[in-house]
Amino acid sequence: MTSDIQEQLRQTCRRLLEEEKVDVVIGYGQSTADGPAYPVFITAPQDVDRLVWNDRCFNNLTAYLTRDEVKSLGKPAIVVKGCDDRALVVLEQESQINRDEIVVIGVACEGVGEPRAAKCAACDVHMPRTADETLGEVPNGPADLEAAYAELDAFMAQSPEERMAYWRGEFERCVKCYACREVCPMCYCNRCIVDKNRPTVIDTSAHVKGNLAWHVTRAFHQAGRCVGCDECTRVCPAGINLRLLNLSLARAADKHFDYRAGMDKEAAPVIGAYREEDKEDFIL
Amino acid sequence: MSQTLSHEDLLKLVDGCLGQGKVVAGPTLVKPDLCAYAALRASDQLVLKDFIHPANSIKGFFFPRHEPICVYRLNGNDVELEDVDPPKTEQIIIGVRPCDAAALPILDHVFNWDYADKFYNERRENTTVVTLACTDYDDNCFCTSVGLGPAAEKGSDAMLLPLGDGGYEVRCFTDKGKALFEGKTTPSDKTGSASEGPARKIDVKWIEEALEDDYENPAWKTISLRCLGCGACAYNCPTCHCFDIVDEGDAAGGLRVKNWDSCQFGQFTVHASGHNPRANQGQRQRQRIQHKFRIYPEKFNEILCTGCGACTRNCPVALGVLNTLEALRAAAAPDTSEVG
Repeated sequence: MTSDIQEQLRQTCRRLLEEEKVDVVIGYGQSTADGPAYPVFITAPQDVDRLVWNDRCFNNLTAYLTRDEVKSLGKPAIVVKGCDDRALVVLEQESQINRDEIVVIGVACEGVGEPRAAKCAACDVHMPRTADETLGEVPNGPADLEAAYAELDAFMAQSPEERMAYWRGEFERCVKCYACREVCPMCYCNRCIVDKNRPTVIDTSAHVKGNLAWHVTRAFHQAGRCVGCDECTRVCPAGINLRLLNLSLARAADKHFDYRAGMDKEAAPVIGAYREEDKEDFIL
Repeated sequence: MSQTLSHEDLLKLVDGCLGQGKVVAGPTLVKPDLCAYAALRASDQLVLKDFIHPANSIKGFFFPRHEPICVYRLNGNDVELEDVDPPKTEQIIIGVRPCDAAALPILDHVFNWDYADKFYNERRENTTVVTLACTDYDDNCFCTSVGLGPAAEKGSDAMLLPLGDGGYEVRCFTDKGKALFEGKTTPSDKTGSASEGPARKIDVKWIEEALEDDYENPAWKTISLRCLGCGACAYNCPTCHCFDIVDEGDAAGGLRVKNWDSCQFGQFTVHASGHNPRANQGQRQRQRIQHKFRIYPEKFNEILCTGCGACTRNCPVALGVLNTLEALRAAAAPDTSEVG
């Protein structure tokens, strides 16, 4: 199944490059069969055999669409999974990409990681929904939101003191390498708030106060925007469970505004729209 | 005749040191699937098997990610300054991979070059480093390419070599190492062993020469396309040592602090004018490699890399020093189109 998709992917990309429909394909490559997959940028038709598709293709490649080094390569085709595809929707809503200038190649995804990543357990976007060409087919599961938020429910069953102790322990390990920010398609600010130093807004120190300030501020900026690709959690060298924070944001948007980021291009963004009947009772 | 120590006696030694108020650190499971060097609360947290390399390095025990160096107070037009003394607590780090210990003598140069960093030096003096010889390696290790190895002694006060029966051969190299294990070990005819060393190799001589006149090499752009510009490589690297000095406080006073910084961040080299001499990620990657394999060796006669592979293991896009160097070499070969 995945090997069929890989072959189709190479053919599709060869065609796109040969016909000069795109200048670069942003996809996945792999050095050894049991090694990690990583982003590759293919600019010549003869190099498409470097592209792979398998369950080690973790990266959300849409993070590259807003980067100057990649933009300078010209018109891109990009390989997306269903969860990555949701990021494209948000980037378009926020005017960060011109969807007409990008060829989106969707791949049917049965899940990534062995064992499967946590996000895959309740996935209802196995099939990318906005792709120009979609390869393979996997039935989309139903939106089982109870399962999606199960980890959060278990956490929220604890007392506020226990939860705070948990986060102190998690954030204590943060060294502020900002891998979470750099892999995130939604963290596209030209100058991140933590990099502002005239004046400094958030302590640059990686102490508990500075780390809490960073992660909470980032979480606020992600509210109603995070698509749950979990890349921040996967790449954190300190193993900080950012997924739990993201789930909390996602559920707030879902529960109070009936909104899931990146699911519907036409829906008014939850942070960008105001309705008189908007609830305020969940805000601390 | 060798000296040996059982695992149980090693744990007793750890508990004894903790009981004396010393900081004892080592590889531990900070999460069920994440082994990292951290301070231990009890000896049962120490993990000495079933890992290749902890996620981080030990440099934080000498050069913490955040360190106050001065206190200031503002009284009207007066500024009061108060020095911060380096901590005097004795530290023992046990189960250190030889590649992490080897970084310490390398770092000694830069922290004692034009200025003797009392914080670093004091911690160095107060710390005993006990390495654990490697019995395995992974695809990211390349210690033997930079003159080290699975049982390299550089930077170690003592070394544990697994015996295969749960115990260790103990080899002491310095007075600190001898003091720690004195009277604790048993003479034996058993000797510990280490692995032969990693399979992947790089030719550092070639790299140093290739970097000589490399500033305009277009390969950097393609090699670095996937680099996201985070600090996961530098912050987990045993030898990366860049820091930023910032003041944190309010109108009444505050702290001058020394925080880790990384050449991979776009803001690292931004001038006050706004000009950035390293404006793109290719230039930043080039700098990181240049510093490790040409600039530091020229200045201090040591490669600023111990082949631990932490940069690659922690890289969100599987880049790291080893893959970067291999890509650089591939780009220099005329018969390949391998890029990015």
